[in-house]
Amino acid sequence: MSNTLLEVKNLKKYFKVPKGMLHAVDGVSFNIEKGKTLGIVGESGCGKTTAGRAILRLEEPTSGEIIFDGIDVMKLNKKEMRHIRRDMQLIFQDPFSSLNPRKTITQTIEEPLILSKMIPDSDKRFMRVMELMDTVGLAERLVNTYPHELDGGRRQRIGIARALAMNPKFIICDEPVSALDVSIQAQILNLMKKIQREMGLTYIFITHDLSVVNHFSDDIAVMYLGRMIEKAPSEQLFAKPMHPYTKALLSAIPVPRIHNRPERILLRGEITSPINPEPVCRFANRCNFAMPICTKEEPALIEIEPDHFVSCHLCK
Amino acid sequence: MESTTRNYTTRKEFFKQYKKKSRMQEIWRMFCKNKLAVLGLILFIIIVAVAVAAPLIADYNQEALKINVPQRLKAPNSEHILGTDEMGRDIFARIVHGARISLVVGLSSVALALFIGGAFGAIAGFFGGKTDNFIMRAMDVFLCLPDVLLALAIVAAFGTNLVNMTIAIGLSFTPKFSRVVRSAVMTVRGIEYVEAARAIGSTNTHIITNHILINCIGPIIVQVTLYVASAILTISALSFIGLGIQAPIPEWGNMLASGRAYMRDHAYIVMAPGLAIFVTILALNLLGDGLRDALDPRLKQ
Amino acid sequence: MDIKKVNEDGNTLEIRNLVIHYISDDETVKAVNGVDIIIRSGKTLGLVGETGAGKTTTALSILNLVPEPQGKIISGEVLLEGKSVFEMTEHELQDMRGDKVAMIFQDPMTSLNPVLTVGDQIAESLEIHRKLNKDEAMKQAKEMLEMVGIPAERAYEYPYQFSGGMKQRVVIAIALACSPDLLIADEPTTALDVTIQAQVLNLINELKQKYHMSMLMITHDLGIVAEVCDEVSVIYGGRIVEHGTLEDIFDNMRHPYTKGLFGALPDIEVRRSELKPIKGLMPDPTNLPPGCSFHPRCDYAMEVCSKVAPENRWLDDTHCVECHLYKDTNESRL
Repeated sequence: MSNTLLEVKNLKKYFKVPKGMLHAVDGVSFNIEKGKTLGIVGESGCGKTTAGRAILRLEEPTSGEIIFDGIDVMKLNKKEMRHIRRDMQLIFQDPFSSLNPRKTITQTIEEPLILSKMIPDSDKRFMRVMELMDTVGLAERLVNTYPHELDGGRRQRIGIARALAMNPKFIICDEPVSALDVSIQAQILNLMKKIQREMGLTYIFITHDLSVVNHFSDDIAVMYLGRMIEKAPSEQLFAKPMHPYTKALLSAIPVPRIHNRPERILLRGEITSPINPEPVCRFANRCNFAMPICTKEEPALIEIEPDHFVSCHLCK
Repeated sequence: MESTTRNYTTRKEFFKQYKKKSRMQEIWRMFCKNKLAVLGLILFIIIVAVAVAAPLIADYNQEALKINVPQRLKAPNSEHILGTDEMGRDIFARIVHGARISLVVGLSSVALALFIGGAFGAIAGFFGGKTDNFIMRAMDVFLCLPDVLLALAIVAAFGTNLVNMTIAIGLSFTPKFSRVVRSAVMTVRGIEYVEAARAIGSTNTHIITNHILINCIGPIIVQVTLYVASAILTISALSFIGLGIQAPIPEWGNMLASGRAYMRDHAYIVMAPGLAIFVTILALNLLGDGLRDALDPRLKQ
Repeated sequence: MDIKKVNEDGNTLEIRNLVIHYISDDETVKAVNGVDIIIRSGKTLGLVGETGAGKTTTALSILNLVPEPQGKIISGEVLLEGKSVFEMTEHELQDMRGDKVAMIFQDPMTSLNPVLTVGDQIAESLEIHRKLNKDEAMKQAKEMLEMVGIPAERAYEYPYQFSGGMKQRVVIAIALACSPDLLIADEPTTALDVTIQAQVLNLINELKQKYHMSMLMITHDLGIVAEVCDEVSVIYGGRIVEHGTLEDIFDNMRHPYTKGLFGALPDIEVRRSELKPIKGLMPDPTNLPPGCSFHPRCDYAMEVCSKVAPENRWLDDTHCVECHLYKDTNESRL
């Protein structure tokens, strides 16, 4: 197990809302090995973004264990937390709102270095910033520009450079390419893969776009209403999806082909509320295969094949 | 990774090659496009220049203060361009020196309010919850009192001098600033780059000073210019009712007050200070509007 | 582009050589630079391109809604069932919008009026164009809701009570209330989750058949094109660089940009180690490259491409391309 970089056990994040308790993340568990990428997929409201933030304690988890490189993250105080942040970084979805509009891109990339006091010498820091800009493919002449002067792809590169500044071991990428054009998406994804290889990074890749996650991840976890309903290595998930939701999700992807088009599974109904959910299968109301037990009992997460986990009464 | 050959090793060397583009220049350009704003700025500069150069323009003792009864209530003529008041003093000289008081008290009272109110507002807006509640309810207490009344109370208790007036007016504006800053902070607090700053290990103080306040400057600057106008009006009001600057020191408000009795036959006595107040407030308002528009981040088309 | 004389009657929409610029003090944005589009009766055309290619401006011009004063129609015509849109009076335009041509936008949150019930919003269209009274209009509005899969009782609810997918269905109901001849859909599912997108696309397909509607589907997603469209026009830098049937574009693509678009897509069937992005960035519409506007990013660029703009050439009855590679040949040069 010494190759495991991150262990998450029964992570929960609840929010108090006027109507009751909102179960944003409701008992998520997984392990990630060094150098690997875990993709977390799901649609809006599934809790994947909250889960990502909870792991970094940007949202304080309601309960659960997070063991990063052997360290129990939940037990760290503020100062220790700031220190460990050097190793755990986050790349944001919106390349515009995640950059301070009043700071030049160099100031933004330099900030983590100043805060962590990793490089006290100003000129050495500057050279490191230039090195980072080179790594992510930003030209020298862009040094004193502001975010609003640049396009989405370049802004996202700034976000990546900032995340890399302190030489982290682990980066959570929250929908990093969703806001970008298709041709730019490809550029950014290639860049992120290259950096991963060269720096030995471990990623969590959060997205709703299944085609992208397949390309990028070693393992994929599918979330629905705060629970992880299936997890498997990428090839397995696409070749042998077990959970009805996973199957529907995969079949819903519009395939850019006109021959051999796959059969579409259409879901009925709407997603149920994450507020005060019943202890039953949360997907049951939309499932084409629902059985009586599904509306009575919540299915447990079972390892049905090596490394392939499913939470479904049909798969036992 | 291939390493690029670089012909610099320090910041200075790099910047010699590339010139720094300035956001300031961009803001100035946008500001200048607004003709009214530029007018406001020009007027304001003139007023400040007049106030600063007051002793050079008109001698304080000889003209502003010296009582010269035989010359009283003379209409504007070649010797006294704005006429003389009921004590024979040159109105123009008094206006010019009065500008000093209005500006000094106006600016410093607002500075005080901004500093105190802004600090409280930033803390309340950033931390939210009970802290926010506590601070804002405390501010509400002050907000209940009309500005003039609070200033009145302080001045009446501690005496009417410039310092007390400044403090009095400053305190009465503090809650207003705390609100403005608080809402600006709350708007910015939710934006992702604040979260990003936390993710790279910023402390709360660093986030507030480095990320939040910088992005609130726009609305704050605008409020500042507007409240300076308000402060000047308040001083004038206080002086008008006799609790501000006392005669014989010239101040636009007390000039209005003492000239009131003679208004019917010698309109110029009140028109001069009245116009002075009007023009100053107008200039500040135009300036405030112009700044607000120029600072608006004009991002994409 | 020469308009083919085949099938000229029954063309719901014809756009010929449309040029639209946005002119401001500092600069001119050349949004649309000579676009030709034909949509035949009952067919769906996919207009494929990335941000800034000119898709939305083209769509707005069909309804004569290009924002003025900056937006100027420099030349070209838009013919809706043979009638020129730019020559219509304001009255005729109002009659046309919502009745003959309906448009649905990307973001259902901002397309709906938050202070009116959804039933009222559907009924509004009917009252204006079909001159129905309130009761009759509401009755039909409820039928429309059922048609898009929403229970009729919900006609009295407000937009905030609906989820994103359902809001988009309401938007579709409003658009189709008066059975338009042409539906313009501008990225209608981009803001929706993928399973909801599947439902909405399915609905659109069903309704298209039922109403025998023509449709202009604007999207950047080739998967959606394969699902919903009959023909495809690829737009880049304000011009149509390739046009054809689904087979022409998916199986026999010719233009390097089209190839680039397909290459940049992650295919769920084939895991490659690297995606093939198109190098460079979208051209600046205030400063388009000379000659062919794609040449700086093109792997096949020749010297002539930077000097002379390519002309459109028909490869066969249905397939045309605008590229110097195909000046003398129909065979693929990719």
